[in-house]
Amino acid sequence: MDSLKLIEKPSFGVRIRIKFSKLFSRPSLVIGSFLVIILTYLVLAPIVSILSNSIRLTRMDAILSGGKFGDFTYKYIDRVFFSSISENIFWTPLLNSLTVSFFATLIALILGLILASLVTSTNILGRKYLGFLLIIPYMLPSQAIATAWITMFKNRKVSGPLGMLEAFGINPPDWLAYGPLPIAICMALSYFPFAFLLFSNALNKIDIQLEEVATTLGAKTIAVWSKIIMPLLIPTTMSVLLLTVARTLGTFATPYILGTPAKYTLLSTSLYSSVRSNESGVVAVLAIVLSFIGIMLLLVDISVVKKWQRFVTVGGKGIKRPPSKLGVFRVPTTIFAWIIFFVAAFGPFIVLALSTLMREPGNFALSNFGFAYWTGIDVPGMDQPGIFTSPEVIIALRNSFLIAGSAAIICGILGLIVGYAVVRLPGSFISAYLRQVSFLPYLMPGLAFAAAFLSLFAVSRGPIPALYGSLSLLILVMVVTYLPYASRSGISAMMQVGPEPEEAGMVLGAGFWRRTVSILAPLQKSALVVAIILPFITGMKELSLVVMLVTPGTELLTTQSIRFLDFGYTQLANATILIIGVVVMISVLVLNRVTKTNLATGLGG
Amino acid sequence: MYEVKLNSITKYFGRNSLAVDNLSVTFSSGEFVCLLGPSGCGKTTTLRMIAGLESPDNGEIHYGNQIFFSSKNGEYLKTEKRNLGLMFQSYALWPHMTVFQNIVFGLIMKKKSVKEKEDRYKELEKLFHLEGLRDRYPSELSGGQQQRVALARMLAVKPSLLLLDEPLSNLDSNLRLEMRAELKRLHQALGSTIIFVTHDQMEAMTLATSIAVMNKGIIEQLAKPMDIYRTPKSLFVAKFVGSPPMNVIQVENGGEIVECLVRTTKLTKNNIKTLGVRPESIRMVSVDEGEIEAIVETIQPTGADWIVGLIVSGKSVFAISSEQPTANVGQKVGLSFKLEGLHVFDDKDQSIKYM
Repeated sequence: MDSLKLIEKPSFGVRIRIKFSKLFSRPSLVIGSFLVIILTYLVLAPIVSILSNSIRLTRMDAILSGGKFGDFTYKYIDRVFFSSISENIFWTPLLNSLTVSFFATLIALILGLILASLVTSTNILGRKYLGFLLIIPYMLPSQAIATAWITMFKNRKVSGPLGMLEAFGINPPDWLAYGPLPIAICMALSYFPFAFLLFSNALNKIDIQLEEVATTLGAKTIAVWSKIIMPLLIPTTMSVLLLTVARTLGTFATPYILGTPAKYTLLSTSLYSSVRSNESGVVAVLAIVLSFIGIMLLLVDISVVKKWQRFVTVGGKGIKRPPSKLGVFRVPTTIFAWIIFFVAAFGPFIVLALSTLMREPGNFALSNFGFAYWTGIDVPGMDQPGIFTSPEVIIALRNSFLIAGSAAIICGILGLIVGYAVVRLPGSFISAYLRQVSFLPYLMPGLAFAAAFLSLFAVSRGPIPALYGSLSLLILVMVVTYLPYASRSGISAMMQVGPEPEEAGMVLGAGFWRRTVSILAPLQKSALVVAIILPFITGMKELSLVVMLVTPGTELLTTQSIRFLDFGYTQLANATILIIGVVVMISVLVLNRVTKTNLATGLGG
Repeated sequence: MYEVKLNSITKYFGRNSLAVDNLSVTFSSGEFVCLLGPSGCGKTTTLRMIAGLESPDNGEIHYGNQIFFSSKNGEYLKTEKRNLGLMFQSYALWPHMTVFQNIVFGLIMKKKSVKEKEDRYKELEKLFHLEGLRDRYPSELSGGQQQRVALARMLAVKPSLLLLDEPLSNLDSNLRLEMRAELKRLHQALGSTIIFVTHDQMEAMTLATSIAVMNKGIIEQLAKPMDIYRTPKSLFVAKFVGSPPMNVIQVENGGEIVECLVRTTKLTKNNIKTLGVRPESIRMVSVDEGEIEAIVETIQPTGADWIVGLIVSGKSVFAISSEQPTANVGQKVGLSFKLEGLHVFDDKDQSIKYM
């Protein structure tokens, strides 16, 4: 080398100048820093707030006990775990939750595995349609199946119109109408499509050559399944187990609808009643426990997935497994699969629809059918207007669209921006921080996260006013909860595009705005549409996240249906759920049109 | 047409990983320079710093009397203003734009009129045989067509400095040969300065008017291709350029072959750490005529030549011969050595001149 002349490290001022001139041409740093502030406030602050609420005196308790507001206290921890009422608010609900989750998960897992095997690998009749139809329960609002159940099986323990079976003169026993059995069954029916999806994907990913090798070595179909396919499905099975348990623990609608009449309390409903009775300290402790269980389950899942990574077989040539012939079992298995579809998806829909069309339950005379509950004209024994004329329903409909719509749009755009910042600042603190923090809400059950949000935004803090009772609180909490999905898909969308198209524009003289408008935006168009429709669908049927945040005037369709149920207006509740179902189905069809793929992949996350 | 001058360029990725280490070099105007080196040697980083897609932690980049970057007074000319052409390994054609839209993008940025765009497009269409592809999208083009569209897009604005980042490595071997000829023709026709990054020494040898061999963030040698081959300045350069690669023999415990080679160079063994012999400098003769005996281990015909694997005093070496070797596998041959193609290196792996 020639004479090495080291230029001294540039001075601070010079470095700042270089940084500045770069910022104008590539503002990812500015965007990233801005996001760090926003996400810290929206994700970390609620968590910190609820942690501190669990060990600080509330204003009310401060007055009652003569202490000072905000003082350190063990009171709430004691009340939840050790006091005389701990049995009622924590220990029994915990046991109930675990029991119900265990059975629901077990049923969902078995159903999912059997159906996935049948649909992906056998000549069962209608396999092409079943692949799509069996996912429908997953798209229904979570209270649909439970509401249908109670419409069918309710007995005189609860007031209101007759249950369908009652109307036929059959009196269903309490254990069939309310409590652990129906809760576990309904949860299993809502969540088996998730297991079905994961197992189907796993089965489709297994390299067919692995099986063909076994066959050439003399293995029969049974041996191929027991020795090759089943062992390869172990990691998926673990994932399904852990994730389904996590989901069932955080579910609110089913235990609320089916458990409350029998005073059968789960952790989620116990948390809800503490919110209703304004015990924010107890709420904080319960929410922390619920999150803790949820986080543990998901962390175990993440580590299991990592550990079994070596099991991931990169598909060879993408050849589909030829469907094996079921022979004499073809008809029975076909009937089984279609029955499951009917019970989980079609059945609830029919029950809900029928109940709103029949003036008196159980009377199938043609004259008994009509649109009374929809139009509000000539409704027997009800002081409520019909669905189309009810001011509550109209407000709820408007709110649902407004909230889910705005949340979806904000979430979709925010997700892409997070993706941009994460991908364009590789190796930086900002990138790692955004990636981690935007993922955090995924770990917390919606109910617990809502409690955390409530604890932060119930009162005004600094420049931010108290948001409780406002639509913006609901929009915010949805945005933050769906952010993990949005930012993950944003990151992968940005990764897929890579920096080159933008750099190619840069070299040819295009500035930041020009690049964003002419290159980045068109490339991300379809990703953005998906990133908006998916949270919209989830938002339309969201209940557990918003149920403790709504106030009269900010009710959504989902919470309004719960209100109707609370007051015994079963038909109105059912009609409201049908409206949600219709909106969701239309959105799904739009999504299918846009992506031209099976929505299964999108909802699997 | 101006020269590209890098002065004491240093670039770190993160805190500890040094990508480019105090690099000072001048690429003369009108040259076709190849930055050649293994992956991770800093060649692409250097190119991206010239383009302005990365900025150095320290140092200066000049293009003629334009300052692209200077850490002395904080100058940084944005990529958009540098007015150069850059081609990526992936081509980075915009999938949502047609061939026409891709190619005239730079002209739109320069606010050219519709007529100017049309005229320039017609020229390029003819030059790169893109007739009939105007309204196609990149996904509807073959690899070779995509490549030509990317070239056309780069050249549409007539940049005087062209930067190419492994543009041929995604092509199959026949097409690559064709495109090499195309690039060479283009350089002769345009006369622009081209800086070309590659890890393929064959590509560098055939295309470049000068080659900069890079290793661990520094340029080991900048010279004309044949000079790089004939008089490598360091062991690294000697090993990196040439296929099959140079045979490298450690002097310590080297046995008879070392004595034989050192004798040929008429040097003393004292300062020499390593010896290098180009395969074509090893001649296979009969056992009696040879200076040293070897056993034939493998014979690989390539069509034009035979690559012969030999065991000589316990070491494997490769020889290349344009005539079919007379000995069969397992048989003995004699070896003699041509003086050119024989290299000696000191304990710092630097070449020692002896002729």
